[in-house]
Amino acid sequence: MNPHRWLFRAARAAVAFALGAAAFAAHAADTVNVYSIWPENWARPMFEEFEKATGIKVNFVRFSSGEALARVTAEKNNPRIDVLFGGPVETFAAGINEGLFEPYKSPSFARLPARFRHADGLWTAIADDPLVFMTNEKFLKEHNLQAPASWDDLLAPVYRNMLQMADARTSGTAVTRIFSVLEVNGRDENKAFDYMRKLRPNIQLYTKSGGGGTLPVGLGQAAGGIFFIVDALDTKAKGYPVIISFPKEGIGTAAEGIALIKGAKNPDVGRKLIDWATSPAMQNHYAKYRINFVPAHPDVALEPSLAAVLKGTNIFAIDAAYAGANRKRVVDRWIAEVLNP
Amino acid sequence: MTGHAVLRRDPAVAVAVVVLWLLLALFVVYPFATLLARVLVDRGSFSVEGLATVLTDRHQVRAFWNSLLLGVLVGVGGTIVGFLFAFTAARCRLPRWLLTVIDAAVLLPLVSPPFTTAIAMIFSFGPRGLITYELLGLKGATVYGLASTLASEVMTYFPIAYLTLRPLLAAIDSNVEGMALSLGASRWRVFRTVTLPLCVPGLANAFLLLFAASLADFATPLILAGNQFPVLPTQAYLQITGLFDLRGGAALSLVLLVPALAVFLLQRYWVSRRYYVTVTGKGAGQAPFDSVSPAIRAALLAACAFVALAILYFYVLLLYASLVVALGANHAFTLQHYRVIFTEGLKVIGDTLIIAGIAMPLGGLYGILLGYLVTKKSFPGRRTMEVVSMVNYALPGTIVGIAYLIAFNDPPIELAGTALLIIACYVFRYGPTGIRATIALLQQIDKSLEEASQGLGAGTGTTFRRITLPLILPAFFAGLGVVFIRSMTAISATIFLVSLSWSLITVKILENMTELSLGPAAAFSVLVVVIVFVVIAIIGRLLRVFRAPGAAQVTSMLGG
Repeated sequence: MNPHRWLFRAARAAVAFALGAAAFAAHAADTVNVYSIWPENWARPMFEEFEKATGIKVNFVRFSSGEALARVTAEKNNPRIDVLFGGPVETFAAGINEGLFEPYKSPSFARLPARFRHADGLWTAIADDPLVFMTNEKFLKEHNLQAPASWDDLLAPVYRNMLQMADARTSGTAVTRIFSVLEVNGRDENKAFDYMRKLRPNIQLYTKSGGGGTLPVGLGQAAGGIFFIVDALDTKAKGYPVIISFPKEGIGTAAEGIALIKGAKNPDVGRKLIDWATSPAMQNHYAKYRINFVPAHPDVALEPSLAAVLKGTNIFAIDAAYAGANRKRVVDRWIAEVLNP
Repeated sequence: MTGHAVLRRDPAVAVAVVVLWLLLALFVVYPFATLLARVLVDRGSFSVEGLATVLTDRHQVRAFWNSLLLGVLVGVGGTIVGFLFAFTAARCRLPRWLLTVIDAAVLLPLVSPPFTTAIAMIFSFGPRGLITYELLGLKGATVYGLASTLASEVMTYFPIAYLTLRPLLAAIDSNVEGMALSLGASRWRVFRTVTLPLCVPGLANAFLLLFAASLADFATPLILAGNQFPVLPTQAYLQITGLFDLRGGAALSLVLLVPALAVFLLQRYWVSRRYYVTVTGKGAGQAPFDSVSPAIRAALLAACAFVALAILYFYVLLLYASLVVALGANHAFTLQHYRVIFTEGLKVIGDTLIIAGIAMPLGGLYGILLGYLVTKKSFPGRRTMEVVSMVNYALPGTIVGIAYLIAFNDPPIELAGTALLIIACYVFRYGPTGIRATIALLQQIDKSLEEASQGLGAGTGTTFRRITLPLILPAFFAGLGVVFIRSMTAISATIFLVSLSWSLITVKILENMTELSLGPAAAFSVLVVVIVFVVIAIIGRLLRVFRAPGAAQVTSMLGG
């Protein structure tokens, strides 16, 4: 064989391979493309139920809220998805600033309380998710402690270097937490940041994702932290010895949203998914799959064991307009004064 | 004969050169240029503001120095451990089975996703860690920071040093050491004045390779570095995924370029020219005398055993985590996690295997094609082609991933979300190992070998087929092996490239870990290790079948 013919063949084979690979990239048109901010083990059963109910297949990939928003922003001129699913509405508020969404009001829209919908329909809430304190039971027993019942309890020296909570650079959980601290301090920013600076020595790690600290707390590698109730109850359900408690001063809750992407390639099926997700059709499935979100639709009953956990607690909604207007400034201040003092 | 004349005479070479240049322009030059433009051009005019913002932010500057510090420490630590293993394997006259054990222990970190040891670290150290608390009874230990990141990276990357140093030690003619001994020098003196100096270039090479590996690793620090020890690759990743700041992330990753390029140039143009020992292909067996005293031999073996046991411990813990309901809470045996990855995770396993399966032959082919052309054919821009082909290999993965993300999302060249983009990323990032191997092998082939073949009446074709091709086959397999291993385990670049249609196991593992789904993360990791082990074993078998000279040397490149 002539070496040059061999080279020819090699080059030809390379081109053929490349073309073959490109062919793999094609995808079907009768499906709805979604970035899910909900973890896969919650999103997957929901989307399977949706397919069962409508015959529309959901093609999805999971990203944390920051990653998802960065993706959608990067793909703005050429969107790859139709719907952004789940994730705290403050993520959606940030997306509105980037002009990422198309307004859409589903049939359920009018039935929802004002804080569960964007006035122009740029997003709609599908669930509500309160923050909680979660502590390791063994740690409490060993130090003869009660579960923390006040924000100030977390400042105790016994927690030094033992708390894990989310990093505001990447996590919506952290942003909701910071706005909770602002609210319980009467929106006095200096007082709130004073508190967060005092808490800093007790922080072992700021985690990338909101639930990142739940496993260390479950294992006792950390003593406790502030998490969304879904993550906390999930940890408990897995068998880890954790206790969930609430501060008497109150703690914030974040609505979880859904939105149609501007320039979506399959807007009609996208709207169908939004119709379904904002209605009892989807939210009635939360209890069945042990997803401990509080349903956003008023017609869906709160699951009894979740209702028992929430009984008598002081939970307030984060004011979306206030949070949206101040988010970037507050997060930047948090990075400068709390994360990297 | 000028290069142009060659191209005119050899249309096949000309076509191959043009095709390669087009591919390099598309997948190396274009994304990198787009990245530079994104950072340096602001609303149509040139501006260094983006870069300046990064360079003046004291936290980012601290992260930069931290990255360098970590790189140096990993380089030193990994080289020491690698040398320890290489020296023990080459000089302690170990029985065959013990050598196999050492090779297996070394291969394990090499074939697993880079952050697998990080998971095990989290469980073993810390206030309630299996080692610090359960075993040693320490309270208040902390797992996040420089120490654990360093330990994890050394354990992950020292095999690169081992694979660089072992052939070198084996190739040092033991007669030289024997002569020194018989002239009355003590063993220590021989080691200090003969063996070690001969190893210096190898040590420097290993150090630089490890430094580069650490500089590119973002997953280990993401899990272990904590808030007290920020490093640049992680910061760049967080800047993009967290703060939605593509430009800032790109600027941060560009800052990494300076040390990465410095190390690459040093390694290539300084160290590689100072190899005192060339691999001759002569069987370099073990020395016919004892290079080390029995006491030292025992100490070396004990040290190796300690490291090997530590590695084994981490992987056993991983396997255990994949087989119990919830590590730390419920240790009942279950196959549930494997059922999850083979049902819900099946698509991602399929995607990864398809991508790795396509990237593997393309990467191997690309390696020997480009290596053969730049070594054996003269054409205009030959040196430039060689250097350009190394760019994606020399850059930290974060930079390559971000550059691909920015360059290929929008028209004119819209490839974002396709498998092609991920495959291209792997081929052009890890194919260069095959190029290096091909060049190294071809340079060792004495021209007289080919001339002799032709003198005996064989045509160019026969000579190529019977002489040249078998000689570079090991390079082809080395290229295959590296591209496959990396396609299965790499994450730093491709985390930016996964999409709705195509995802990767490594990305899934990281996602599972951040979501406390430890069982599936561990099960996925075990699966990757098993698949890669099997494929590498097959490639090793093929190498032995073709039994080409230089095969052993090329096997060592699997590390680079």
